[in-house]
Amino acid sequence: MFAAENGLKSDPRLQGISEAIRVVPHFPKQGIMFQDITTLLLDHKAFKDTVDIFVDRYRGMNISVVAGVEARGFVFGPAIALAIGAKFVPLRKPRKLPGKVISEAYELEYGTDCLEIHVGAVQPGERAIVIDDLVATGGTLSAAIRLLERVGAEVIECACVIGVREVKGQCRLNGKPLYILVEPRQIDNCC
Amino acid sequence: MMRGSLLPRCSNSIFPPPPNSNRLRPPFLKRLPAPTAASSGAQSRLTFSQNYRTAPNRLRSSVSESQWKQDREMATGDEQQDPRIAGISSAIRVIPNFPKPGIMFQDITTMLLDTKAFKDTIDLFVERYRDKNISVVAGVEARGFIFGPPIALAIGAKFVPMRKPNKLPGEVISEEYSLEYGTDKMEMHVGAVEAGERALVIDDLIATGGTLCAAVKLLERVGVNVVECACVIELLGLKGRERLGDRPLFVLVNAT
Repeated sequence: MFAAENGLKSDPRLQGISEAIRVVPHFPKQGIMFQDITTLLLDHKAFKDTVDIFVDRYRGMNISVVAGVEARGFVFGPAIALAIGAKFVPLRKPRKLPGKVISEAYELEYGTDCLEIHVGAVQPGERAIVIDDLVATGGTLSAAIRLLERVGAEVIECACVIGVREVKGQCRLNGKPLYILVEPRQIDNCC
Repeated sequence: MMRGSLLPRCSNSIFPPPPNSNRLRPPFLKRLPAPTAASSGAQSRLTFSQNYRTAPNRLRSSVSESQWKQDREMATGDEQQDPRIAGISSAIRVIPNFPKPGIMFQDITTMLLDTKAFKDTIDLFVERYRDKNISVVAGVEARGFIFGPPIALAIGAKFVPMRKPNKLPGEVISEEYSLEYGTDKMEMHVGAVEAGERALVIDDLIATGGTLCAAVKLLERVGVNVVECACVIELLGLKGRERLGDRPLFVLVNAT
C-alpha cells in the first residue's frame, strides 16, 4: 500500500521525498530509469522525513527486528531500528557475514543470487519488518521474507521508500503487506 | 549547501568533557570474563588521536583548530572511561580465521542486536560531533552505511555514501587504493559535497587504513575539510593511524 493512501494523503513530506530522488536514465543498462536515493540523503529534511514516516508507522507495533537488505537497506534500517527500540539485522550478499549463516537463493533476470542472515540473529516468534530502498520485481524482498520465516520470525511488513503500484500484479509479497512511500519518478524535462 | 559562517561560535560549541587519555591502552581481548569494578578501566577505552598537531591544512577553519585544541587539552588529563564503552566492546563478536586463516574478524553485527550498545555507539559519536559545524558524514560501503546515517540525521548533516566501483549511478570521481594483493577503487558522486564543507568519514573499523585514506583523499580532492575519521574499532598493529598521517582519528574500542 502507498503511504498516501494509508493515512498520509496530501502529506507534504511525501512530495519533498519524491522530489529529492534523482532519476538516472539507462543505469545500470539501457532502458532502466534508475531511482537514485543518494540525492535524498543529501537533503537532511527529506531524509529525516523518510525515517520519521517509517518510525511513526512501526513504533508501538511491538517490532523487535528491523532487517535491512544490503546495501541501501543499511542506509534506512538502522535509524528506524534505533528509534523504535528494535535490533538491526543486516541481510547480506554471500560470504560477507563472518559467522554461521543460512542462505536463500532468488532469481535475477539472468541467473540467481543469494541473501544470507546470521544464525541466531533472530529468535523464533520475533516480529520483524524488512527494509529496502526500492521494490521492483520483489525477488530480493521475497528472499528476505523467506529467510526471516525460516528462522521463525513473523514478518509483519516490508517497507520501501520507492515502489511500483503492483509487484507482479500483487500488492502483497509472499502474502506480506508492502508499505511504500513514493512511486518511481520519470525523468524531468528540466534537469 | 555550505554551512554558513566560519567565524568562531560562542560557548555552546564547547564539547562535553570527553573521557580518557589519548594514549593507547593495553590490547583489548574480547570474551574475557566480565570486568570487575576494579579492572573495568583497563580494557577498552575511548582513544583520541595522537596527532592533534595543528595541521598546515589551509582549509581548516579557525573554529576547527580551537575546538580540537581544547579537546586535546581536556583529553590528556582525564583517565575515566565512559561507562558505555564496556557494553559496546563486549557486544562485538570475534570470529577467528575469517575471511582467511590468521585474521580475527571483529563482527559488529552482534552489537547491532544489542539495542543499548548500538544506541550508545551512535550517541558517543553524536555527542562528539554535534555543534561542530559538520555538514557531511561520509560512510564507507557497506558497514559505514550502518553507522553514518543515524549520526548524520542526529547532527543535521547530509550522508554521502562512498562506494565500490559501478554502484553509484551518476557521475563519479574515483580513488584507487592498494590491497594486500592488487588494488581497489572507491567512488563518490560528483556534486554530493562542496568545497569548504566540513566532513567526517565513518567506517566500522580501521585496519591498515587503506580504505579510510582513500575516502579522505576523495573528499579532499574536491576541497572538503575532513575534520576527523571515526570508527567503532581500531585494529592495533596495522599502522592505520599512521597511514592517515596528521588527520585525526577517533575510535571507541581498540582490538588486536
